[in-house]
Amino acid sequence: MLSISGLTKRHGPRTVLSDVTFQARPGRVTGFLGPNGAGKSSTLRILLGLDRPTAGTALIDGRPYRKLPDPIRAVGSMLDGSGAHRSRTARNHLAWVARAGGVPKRRIDEVLDQVGLAGAGRTRVGKFSLGMGQRLGLAAALLGEPAALVLDEPVNGLDPEGIRWIRGLLRGHADAGGTVLLSSHLMSEVAEITDDLVIIAGGRIVATGPLTEVIAGHATLEEAFFALTGADR
Amino acid sequence: MTRLRADRRRPMTLLRAVVAELRKTATLPASAAATAVAVLGPLGITVLNAFSVRNAIRSGQPGLVAYTSPAEAAFSAAPLGTIGAIILGVVVISSEFTANSPDAGGGRQITATLAATPRRLVVLAAKAVAVVLNVLAAAAITLPACLFVADFVIGDLATPDDLGPTAARAAGAALYWTLTALMALAITVLTRSGVIPLIVLIVNSSLVSVSMVLTHVTTLAYYLPDAAGMRLFADDPLGEFEHALAPLTGGLVMAAWALGFLAVSSAVFTRRDA
Repeated sequence: MLSISGLTKRHGPRTVLSDVTFQARPGRVTGFLGPNGAGKSSTLRILLGLDRPTAGTALIDGRPYRKLPDPIRAVGSMLDGSGAHRSRTARNHLAWVARAGGVPKRRIDEVLDQVGLAGAGRTRVGKFSLGMGQRLGLAAALLGEPAALVLDEPVNGLDPEGIRWIRGLLRGHADAGGTVLLSSHLMSEVAEITDDLVIIAGGRIVATGPLTEVIAGHATLEEAFFALTGADR
Repeated sequence: MTRLRADRRRPMTLLRAVVAELRKTATLPASAAATAVAVLGPLGITVLNAFSVRNAIRSGQPGLVAYTSPAEAAFSAAPLGTIGAIILGVVVISSEFTANSPDAGGGRQITATLAATPRRLVVLAAKAVAVVLNVLAAAAITLPACLFVADFVIGDLATPDDLGPTAARAAGAALYWTLTALMALAITVLTRSGVIPLIVLIVNSSLVSVSMVLTHVTTLAYYLPDAAGMRLFADDPLGEFEHALAPLTGGLVMAAWALGFLAVSSAVFTRRDA
């Protein structure tokens, strides 16, 4: 379970997050929805120990990310694409990640195969398209066979086939008892994939709950979203 | 109980991180370029030096060159190795912060690095160890090769060198390269981009050394990072640097600078948002 509680982040005078609280539960796909700049990435960066909150906590099964003994075997994550250096090959990228994370080498081929990059393992990441970069990022996230997946805008740059594929992958992960937290600004995608919804706007949570409850009273998720975020002006 | 278990894991985490960093270095083209500079640069300059010594002696004008010893021909090429060490120290850090093109998500490798190894001191220590091992490996190949080549080219005409002092200067040059690489690494942690550290440090160690200019103003400048260790490998055949620190003192002063830079960069790296 991912528990975010009372998270506040300030950059100087600017408040990026105020009192952000929500959970992502095992067996569920939780969609983290909000306009660009609403604080989705900031929240996920704090959850993954990349940035420090001004106040509040972000815990993975009760522990902060930095205290996890084998972090990538507990949480698979992807932020801003693959995180691979452009002059390294996909395989070499996964190889050092596996080394650092204590993941057996055989997983490299398995995940390359799983994300459909089996033929591109020796290609330099700089030559990848956005969609291939996303797939490599997912491969790195899946490397440690983690129970939780934290993905920032995972469908960005994927073609329709890729979107369909990732939907199946995430559904399968949650159905097997895993936790999935994914951020997106694409409402139709989120509506298709998620069980639970967290909506953030201007650094504040404006709605949380099962998808059906959040939408209740509105014709579509899109209408609910604009009503809740007040962005429809 | 949990605490104990966590502590036991720490050495393993560091070992894993070191192996991962060695792998990263081995698969990064920029670090291969750095190693090439550190190996081929001093060798090339040694060959040039050795031929000018040989030509001067053969033409009966040894006064045209400042020295006639093979060791001198080799060690005066050592600054090229310093440049290779600087490049390596810089790229090991700057590669973490290079953004991918926006078409590929615009991400940076530091995200993946800290996801796998969230303890930042472990990351920095692993990078430092990887840099030290790479520089020492380059030095172990380059310096004996330079001495051998110089000796081979100058041949019987040479002023013979004593083995002991020559070995000590080789160790000194390796130490000088290593400490310089660590300082370059530490400075790049602060700047994140490699451009400025590369330009400043390379210009400083090739064209104009700010410290050496300052030694004309005050002899205290011999305590500055790059000047302090100069006697680790550089002899002073022309007697220009009589106030330079002795090898041992200078080496200790330089090591203190390197530790200082690393301490500052650790403090910044552990506190700053990635």
